[in-house]
Parts: sequence; C-alpha cells; structure tokens
Amino acid sequence: MKWVKDWYLSDIILLALIGVFFGIIFLGTNYVYDVLTAVFAPLGLSQIPNELLLGLWCMPGMLAGYMLRIKGASVLGEFLASVVEMLFGGQWGASTMISGILQGIGSELGFTLTRYKHYDWLGLAATAATTTIVTFGWDLARSGYGKLQLWLLLLFFVVRFCSMFVFGGLLTRAITDLLDRSHVLKTTHTN
Amino acid sequence: MNPSLKLLLLLIVALEISFTTIVSLNVALVILAGIYLLAKRVKLRTLLWLLIVPLIPAIGLWSTQYINGTGQKELMAWVLFTRIYAFVFTGATLTLTTDVLELTDSLEQNCHLPAKFAYGVLAAYNLAPKIKHEVQVIRAAGLMRGQTLSFWSPQLYFKAILISITWSQNLAQAMASHGFVEDAPRTHYRKVRVRPVDWGLLIGGIILLQLGVFVMPWH
Repeated sequence: MKWVKDWYLSDIILLALIGVFFGIIFLGTNYVYDVLTAVFAPLGLSQIPNELLLGLWCMPGMLAGYMLRIKGASVLGEFLASVVEMLFGGQWGASTMISGILQGIGSELGFTLTRYKHYDWLGLAATAATTTIVTFGWDLARSGYGKLQLWLLLLFFVVRFCSMFVFGGLLTRAITDLLDRSHVLKTTHTN
Repeated sequence: MNPSLKLLLLLIVALEISFTTIVSLNVALVILAGIYLLAKRVKLRTLLWLLIVPLIPAIGLWSTQYINGTGQKELMAWVLFTRIYAFVFTGATLTLTTDVLELTDSLEQNCHLPAKFAYGVLAAYNLAPKIKHEVQVIRAAGLMRGQTLSFWSPQLYFKAILISITWSQNLAQAMASHGFVEDAPRTHYRKVRVRPVDWGLLIGGIILLQLGVFVMPWH
C-alpha cells in the first residue's frame, strides 16, 4: 500500500473540497442540460447535450492530475468528486461511482502515456483523448451506443472529444495559469 | 443492512444491468427498490420526485435509440429507458436511507479504508453548505466588479481552488490538533459490525440477480 503514503491528509481534503465546489457550480448546468435534451429529443439526437457537457463533468479529474502532478491524482480527484456527488443524493446513485472511477482512469491514462512529464499541451491533449476513449467505451454498453448507427457514433465521439479538450484542456490550462501566476501551488507541490 | 455490503451489492447490480438488455429485469429492480424505500418510510413525494427527475434523460435515450438505432430499435429503446430508472431507484436505496457517517464508519472499519481518506472526505462533505454559500459570495463579488462568473469562467474555478487550498490546510491542521494522526491505528467509539444476516442479504441479492439475468423465462 505504498501509494497511500504518497497522499497527505491535506491533499485528500483538497481534492474532496474541489469536488464539492465543482459539483455545486455544475448544479446550474443541469437546467441547460435538461432544456437542450428536450430540444434535441425529437431528432433522436438528445445525447448531444450530454456529449457537449461531459468534458465539464470530467474536468475535476483532468484538472487534479494537471494541477497536483502526483501519480493517481486524476483517478482520486474524479472519484472523490463522484463520491461527493453520490452522497449529495445525485440522481444516478451507485452508477455515479462507476462512471467516476472510469472517467478518472481515463484522465490518468493520458498523463501515464506521456510518462508524467508533459504538463503542457501534449499532456492535456493526451488526457482529453484517453478520457474520451475510456468513457466512450463505457457508454457503448451503458447508454446503448453500441446499437447506434455509425455516423451518429462518429458525431458523438467527435463532439465528446471537443468537449473534453475545451473543458479539460483549455479551461484547465486557463485555471492553472491563474494559479501559477498567484504562486499558490508551490505549497501544495512540496507536500 | 451493513452500508459497505449494501454499496457493494448496488455496484454489482449497476454493473450487471449495464450489460444486460432485459426490460422486465429493470422493471423488477425498480419495483423491488420502490418497496424497500416505502418500507423504510421514505415519503411518497420523494418517490414521485424520483420518477419525474430522470424523465427527460430517459426520454432522450429512448428517442435516440428509437430514431437512430440499428437492429431491435424498440427493445433497446425500452431497455435504456427502464435502465435509467433502475439506476435511480437502486441508487436511492443507499442515498435516501443510509446515513453518510454510518457509511464512512463502515468503510473504514469493515473495508479497511485508510482513516485519512474516510475522515478527509467526510470533512469536505460536511462543509458543503458553507461551500454553497461561498460560491454565491464569489459570484456576488464578481458582480460588484461588473464580472459575471459563469460555469465556463476560469476565475470562478480559480477562486474556488484558492479557497479549497486554504480550507484543506486549515482542516488538516484542525484535525491534527484534535489528535488525528495519519496512518496511525485508531480505536472506534461508534462500532459498525458485519452480521451474518448482512452476508446473507448480499449473497442472496447476487443470486437473485443472476436468476433474473440468466434463468427467468422473460429472457
């Protein structure tokens, strides 16, 4: 259980707090999601809003990995965010945790593949790509994507990747740039 | 039922119904979970709410399959529609009837989750009302300077992370000053036990689920 030693109590609380903060900020997007879903439903494209917003919901993991730069930060960050969401009475219950773990592993893979050395655009693009691939694989089964027509699958895949890159890449980068400029991360990095 | 074992059972159910295409199994799970919730005296209004909230995503998944699916479109559409409700209702049997403190105690004592994870997450979770307030404060402060902070504004997340960093260090210090030592063995005031009946419920539940998936004539 060596990995347990790499984590300090303050890191764990930090990731959980970020999870709660982001969860509360995301609450507002539920209305956007519901309205858009209702609009797209008659076309049979109601997963589009889900694909558009999925990057936002996967952001805690990608951000945690990019910001803390500890192995396993993405998995833990996204998982804790999903646990907190479930405890809040998030409507999807236990399946939230499964999604959270998978999204976290997806984000982590991007940093693993770049050997935890590329905390730049390459790393961000990699994590966006792996998160897209892993979560898409899960949706092939869970959301019945495996039974959809091919053009639609491709459309969903492209939209999902764009969303991952916008929120997990561009927005994460913008946030961490602000953090870098304020020099607050040094204290957490030395932990 | 012991919270950890309940969580395990629900995870198994959620995983397994993600890979099955049996409408009646999903419906049976919804009904079973509904009966359980009623027996635990969950309010009817809450149950009704559970029926309404997932309606839009469920219709969305249904129409996507119905219009753009391949193969047995209609079957798959209904499978996904009922699957959403099965997720929501089985999930509610944990979130609506199990105390969060009890669940963390159980995960720590029965599943040997390191104490710093159990109490760390609990500390953050308990701050939720304060965090809700803090998000409003950040937004109001932005408005005073003529900035509207929306869910795509980096500043909003930046400020949220700044506060998280401060609070996490404060909380960790506070816990240490109350005698919490990381990675040290702990004794417990509130004890959570795994009784034989809990194991029975878990194993019985899993067997029942397999019967529903592989044996029942509706297959």
